[in-house]
Amino acid sequence: MNTSPSASLHALLLLSDSALPLGSFAFSSGLESFLAHNKQHHASSVSAKVQAFEAFLEHSLANVASTALPYVLTAYHHSEQLEDLDNDFDASTPCTVARRASITQGRALLTIWDRALSASVSSSADSQEAAKALTAFATASKTCKPDLYGLQLNSHFPPLFGLTCRALSLAESETAYLFLLNHAKALLSAAVRASVIGPYQSQSLLASEKLQRCIATCIKRETARTAEEAAVTSPVMDLWMGRHELLYSRIFNS
Amino acid sequence: MSNPFLVNTAKPGHGLIHLALLPPSTPRLKTTSYQYPLKLISPAPSRTEGDARHLIHTVYLLTYGGGLVAGDAIELTVILEPTTRLILLTQGSTKLFKSPSPAVVSNQRTTTTIAPGSILCYLPDPVQPFEHSCFEQSQDYHVTVPSAGSEKPGNLCVLDWVSNGRQANGENWSFHRYASRNEVYLCMSEGKRRLLLRDNILLDRNDIEGNVASRMHSLAVFGTLILYGPLFQSLGQFFMMEFKALSRVGGRKWDSGSESGDEEVDAATIRRVQRQRQESTDGVLWSAASVRGCVVVKFGAPTVEGGKRWLHSMLTHEGTVVRELGERALLCLR
Repeated sequence: MNTSPSASLHALLLLSDSALPLGSFAFSSGLESFLAHNKQHHASSVSAKVQAFEAFLEHSLANVASTALPYVLTAYHHSEQLEDLDNDFDASTPCTVARRASITQGRALLTIWDRALSASVSSSADSQEAAKALTAFATASKTCKPDLYGLQLNSHFPPLFGLTCRALSLAESETAYLFLLNHAKALLSAAVRASVIGPYQSQSLLASEKLQRCIATCIKRETARTAEEAAVTSPVMDLWMGRHELLYSRIFNS
Repeated sequence: MSNPFLVNTAKPGHGLIHLALLPPSTPRLKTTSYQYPLKLISPAPSRTEGDARHLIHTVYLLTYGGGLVAGDAIELTVILEPTTRLILLTQGSTKLFKSPSPAVVSNQRTTTTIAPGSILCYLPDPVQPFEHSCFEQSQDYHVTVPSAGSEKPGNLCVLDWVSNGRQANGENWSFHRYASRNEVYLCMSEGKRRLLLRDNILLDRNDIEGNVASRMHSLAVFGTLILYGPLFQSLGQFFMMEFKALSRVGGRKWDSGSESGDEEVDAATIRRVQRQRQESTDGVLWSAASVRGCVVVKFGAPTVEGGKRWLHSMLTHEGTVVRELGERALLCLR
């Protein structure tokens, strides 16, 4: 047996850990708002509620894949474009709640990078280049100086995540899968806390072949897209997210 | 040496609207050229009732047969010189006819240059994709960044919306593909530019497990309104304020009746209450966000009429559009 697992496996486990202090547990990506808006439809039975959630999960994954994955992968390959990607992602997220969620997690990731991960980057040229770009971005984002057009750096999550994976020597396919799986995990955990499904049901959905297939299809579809082509494929998601602010009571930040 | 004769460079579907400024302050529609299947019609320019200083030009964007046949391509360039005002309208919804195969895509590209102080108001009818249609469109707005400190940037009030097809024929988001992209760029004089806003929607049946209708829940129309510039600032604030004033989702209405029943209620509040009542009858769902100097409003409704009614009442209650551009700007929303 090969006794030394690769360095990338170690990084993969670190970044997929729900204990990574990103605060992703605080966000439901529109699920809470969706449930509040559709209460009367789901009141009939438990199975209707679960069914509606499964559809939501699939739409949400597809939408995150089509809006954010191209940014994750472009940043992964082109560390020099990080600031442009940050600007363009900000321009493409005209929803207060989604924007806040992305920036909060992006800043958290930068802090983790700064204080923890940056110290253990491998010596390969690719990782070093990505690490340099990340550290430079972290420094620049602290100054908050507006550019020529009066726009500022925002630290959005997707491009920073892509580059962090690069710095930690993850493969492109691993990066894409990890990004979407983390989103699915956050949504499922939110669903458990919002009492839509139970913890075992959540694990069974997470382990299911259906979810794996859904993620694989999304990746296959989106890897061909450039960041400029990133698009919203579930427009109603923007409405749920935007209207999260109107909920009478909230347990999540998005 | 340049050619002194007029060269007809117009290609099929190409069009140009150039609203020039004759010194010192007379706007003039310098060019409107177009080629089949696009047709541009410009009625006599108007002035607003309260303020006769500004001449407002209107152009109708028409297509033969009221829509696009599979494979049609339209490319429209719009140029607004400083301080000019332009209303773009359509005459009824733009129909997208069915395509023989998903590979035959019809498309429409509009590129608009907005000089400092000018206004573009584009509130069209919704696009109506028929069953098996295949369509892509893009609207690029290039806002010139004012160089002198005294100049104010250009102003944008543009709407992009799409309906679920011919409901009477049982169509419900039954097209092959619908893609619409709106981009606002800030442009420097040296050709440098930066993306300010991108709103890109893609609905492709092949990408979606099940059907597009399930993605759209029970909405029959979905739209995005983009507001930018100092002249539309108060309109943007109005949307933000009204959004905050919406009743809470999932809350109980404890305050439905007052104890004495004779408090002073101002006119604005009464209108708001009336509008919100209509809004919930029509099932309109909307949200507004103020980002990067723009206000972006997204809305959906289970009927086209409901969505239209809501948007019309919002725009007329606030009043900026009618005050700055006249009643004509809202013609498609009536």
